[in-house]
Amino acid sequence: MSSSRSLRACMVCSIVLPQAKFNREGCPNCEGFLELRGSSDAIMDCTSPVFEGLITLADPEASWVAKWQRLQGYVPGTYAVKVVGIVSPWSK
Amino acid sequence: MAGILDQRFDDDEEEDDFNPEPEQGSEPDIDEKPAANGDAVHDLTEDGDGVPTKAKERDDLEVKDEDEDEKDDDDDDAEDGIDGADGAADEEAEEDEDEEDEEEDEDDDDIEGQPSRKRRRKHRRNQFIDVEAEVDEEDEEEPEEDDDLPGEEMHPDDLQELPPGADRDDRKHRELDRQREAQFHLNAEEEAERLKERYGRQSRNKGPTGAVVPQQLMLPDEKGPKIFRMRCKPGKEREVVLNIQARILERANSREPVTILSAFERSKPHSSSSSTGPNPMAGMLYVEANRAEEVIAACEGINFVFMSHKPMMVPVGDMPALLKTQKEKQLEPGMYVRVRRGLYMGDLAQVHDVEANSTDVTVRLVPRLDYGLNEDVNAPVEEILPNGQKRKRTKAQVQRPPPRLFSEIEARKKHAKYLSRQGNLSGNTWTYQNKEYVDGFLIESFRLGALQIEDVNPTLEEVTHFATSSGEDGGENLDLAALAATLKKSSAGEFLPGDRVELFRGEQKGVTGESVQVYNNIVKIQVDPGFGSLSGKVIEASIDTLRKMFREGDHVKVIGGSKYVDEVGMVVRMKDDRVTILTDAEQKEITVFSRDLRVATDSGGAAMDSKYDLFDLVQLDAATVGIVVRVDRESLRVLDQNGMAKTLLPSAIANKLEKRRTAVATDRDGNEMKMDDTIKEYSGEQKTGRVLHLRGNSVFAQNRERTENAGIWVGRHSNVLVVAAKGGKPANAGVDLTKMNPALGKPNGGASPMPPPQSKGRDRLIGKTVKIRSGPNKGMIGIVKDAGAEEAKVELHAKNKTIPVKKDMLALIDPDSGKIIQGGIQSLSMGKPPPAAMPSYAMASGGGGRTPAYAAGSRTPAYASGGLSGGARTPSWKQDLGSRTPAFGVGGQTAYGGYGGGGGGGQTAYGGATSYGGATSYGGGSVWGGGGGGGASTWNPSGGRTPAPSGSKTPAYGGLEAPTPGLSAPTPGGYQDQPTPGGFRDQPTPGGFRGAGGSYQTPAAYQTPGGMMPETPGGGGDDGPGYD
Repeated sequence: MSSSRSLRACMVCSIVLPQAKFNREGCPNCEGFLELRGSSDAIMDCTSPVFEGLITLADPEASWVAKWQRLQGYVPGTYAVKVVGIVSPWSK
Repeated sequence: MAGILDQRFDDDEEEDDFNPEPEQGSEPDIDEKPAANGDAVHDLTEDGDGVPTKAKERDDLEVKDEDEDEKDDDDDDAEDGIDGADGAADEEAEEDEDEEDEEEDEDDDDIEGQPSRKRRRKHRRNQFIDVEAEVDEEDEEEPEEDDDLPGEEMHPDDLQELPPGADRDDRKHRELDRQREAQFHLNAEEEAERLKERYGRQSRNKGPTGAVVPQQLMLPDEKGPKIFRMRCKPGKEREVVLNIQARILERANSREPVTILSAFERSKPHSSSSSTGPNPMAGMLYVEANRAEEVIAACEGINFVFMSHKPMMVPVGDMPALLKTQKEKQLEPGMYVRVRRGLYMGDLAQVHDVEANSTDVTVRLVPRLDYGLNEDVNAPVEEILPNGQKRKRTKAQVQRPPPRLFSEIEARKKHAKYLSRQGNLSGNTWTYQNKEYVDGFLIESFRLGALQIEDVNPTLEEVTHFATSSGEDGGENLDLAALAATLKKSSAGEFLPGDRVELFRGEQKGVTGESVQVYNNIVKIQVDPGFGSLSGKVIEASIDTLRKMFREGDHVKVIGGSKYVDEVGMVVRMKDDRVTILTDAEQKEITVFSRDLRVATDSGGAAMDSKYDLFDLVQLDAATVGIVVRVDRESLRVLDQNGMAKTLLPSAIANKLEKRRTAVATDRDGNEMKMDDTIKEYSGEQKTGRVLHLRGNSVFAQNRERTENAGIWVGRHSNVLVVAAKGGKPANAGVDLTKMNPALGKPNGGASPMPPPQSKGRDRLIGKTVKIRSGPNKGMIGIVKDAGAEEAKVELHAKNKTIPVKKDMLALIDPDSGKIIQGGIQSLSMGKPPPAAMPSYAMASGGGGRTPAYAAGSRTPAYASGGLSGGARTPSWKQDLGSRTPAFGVGGQTAYGGYGGGGGGGQTAYGGATSYGGATSYGGGSVWGGGGGGGASTWNPSGGRTPAPSGSKTPAYGGLEAPTPGLSAPTPGGYQDQPTPGGFRDQPTPGGFRGAGGSYQTPAAYQTPGGMMPETPGGGGDDGPGYD
């Protein structure tokens, strides 16, 4: 987590993880349909290195921030306030 | 049905300017509408997996809408304004209804045959769709008036038309902002409670695919967790958040877990990437927790967090603002930006490419290159003048080269080694000094922060730079769409009531009218007659869809946005929103955007504010300077140092050169030439003029009588003569030195007098007190203010008047006593009389040179004073001769004794030889003559023997007197060099001797008289004893 260089934000749930972790474990929230694990192409398509505002979320259910950001129901972790990028429509 | 369609179309045109026309086909089938809608929603939700969250949210909202629809079918008016997204109060909805009714009434009044009743009935049948649409309109058109209006979702039909994944981000955020604002006016809690009660039973999906709650329902409440602000080191915000995250994980299962709910930062990751200036959120860390102590516990010991700042609670109302996102203007290729810093600061650039991370932008620029010209100019000078040059060099770097398209020819001149062609398909790609140039443009990558994205306001001239050369088809390729995107920001306020406008977009495209009211981005237009049912009506239009309209012949004024600002002219052509006008000032056609124009009645432009004034000296490039001979609004006419006049844009001028008043140069004659001196061309047209600038080897002069180039002409220093220095003193007027052949002057031995020395500069008469000796003003006393060749301007003491008076008529007087100083004028104006000295005489002491001087007849003083040579010798010769004569006499050669005087005589005999012709003049000489005559007689009979030695000497002396130095000098020398006088004695005839003499003339070994002189007496002395 220390290197913020390769951080990427999921464009669907806006969770911020190092690229390697996306590759290793996929997106903890969206893996069901994004299927990022092990797929660099999918990671490139569905995550963005450009994001703004970093949130560390300890308790998604109790947090107002999570509520406001529509992060309730997601796993605790680091999220971005704003992710720049558009999911390419053909990527599944 | 067709009629209905048409009518509806009109209606929509009028009311619904901003939303695309809903699908026509589905409109009349009112009953099918919900079904169709439902289908669409169904589709969207089906592939909801693939669409981004935003779209998904929208889909979910639509689902809710559906739910509501079903419910609201039962309810009537009160509820139908509410959908899942807006928490509108019931009253609001009712108000909307009322307003609609009013509008409907208006429609009834205004539009004949409008089947609004029918439509109204339709409303009844399907409340949702139409009501929804009209709320939409209200909100869009009058956002300020209806502040309290709840935000609305997009029309389901609109949604249907949008492709999944379409970017509606901006719209959504705007909605959110509005909703939030609106919501602050309501009692959110109550409302939320009420709505929750109402809709709470709906099942919601949890997790990634669901959990969409209208945001205004999520507003923080007092009971919830608080947000505390902490300080941290700016730039380290992310790191801090990540560290907190790490700590949360680390302590999750420990005895004292971190109890905060969340922590976040809002600094811009690249502070430069915010185009809105400084980063207000830098150094801020926000921690959400229930109590401040938890915040401290969580942050304690984390690097870069400033624990000295106590956690500060953020008011509940401010919490949403902390998470507000702003839509940043997305750069797209073709858009225009400006460069913030560096060499190209302020220059317009066109976005060429945006990197995927949208922080690096590649732009196209018009390069500013000097191709090393400046370097080379400076380099050699630097060696000579290291100190003074240093300053200059920095200055040279400050002045950046004007923007010009890249030219490989220029680059090759000096920097061929830096230039290489890219093996590219386009073929016009170059790499020069590690930078890439395509089609003349510099392609350079900038960080987003180094670019100015807002308020770019490109002028047409800048844009045409890019437009003209960007198209491969060669034609003008103005990317109006890109331009419009850039200009949109600045377009507010361009319309004023009274402007003639035209809708160029949307359903009312082509409609023209006059704007009657302008607020924000909406213009109310009174439609011109001739547009059917719209005629004469007042409609509203967004400024996006409007452009100003002019007619050919309109008199317009450029009000902004271009270099032609304040130019006034007549419209001659219109194409799209580009208007060509013929300017009043210059009768020139210029093209500007219609938005920059207004109808104007005044004429003439305002005062020009060009950086350059008439007659300014300007630097065109490193080696060229020029003088401004005409200043137009946007161009300058410049006469360069080579006499070429060209019209330039101010941007093509490197800088202005200050006038150096103290500059001094020399003219063709070496006379001093300064500012304001009157000069004359030496050759050619013999133009005259007053010196305006001296620069390098060029002089820029002005002659007001000339019309060409504002009377300015340029000459070389070496080709002009100073006619009068400033103040009017004539310089060398009347005397043309060059007419004199210096070769003539010297042989004449100064017979031609040296020209009187020129007195240069200010006439010394100026400032003197004079009395007028004759003429109508006789007797008046005044002070000379100015003096010319013949005239002087005299400021009279008696009258306050300055009159020109001939210098002859002036007498210099002593200002104190009033007495006339005789000859004062002459002494002042003419300078010293020429000295009587004959320079050639002075030089004559050498001998060779002097001889002709004798011949010239000016010898008298030479004899007197120039004793060194001839004069001195003469007596010595005589003495020698005298001493010798007896010796000869002793030798028994009486005839020889007579020789003493006969040196000349012998010469006379020689004189028969043409070469000695000059001797005759000697014969006329004073002392010698007598002796010569006597000697001659003795000599002749003396035959070959005796006279030989003496003869050898005699002509030697005579030779001295011979007019031709070349001849005279060698002759004696030759004789003296002759080893054997005896040889001469053996000569049977003098004729042979003569021949020998003739042969000796040629070697000019003894041209130096100094060498000869000592020898002569010496030779004589030696000879004497020898003969003895």
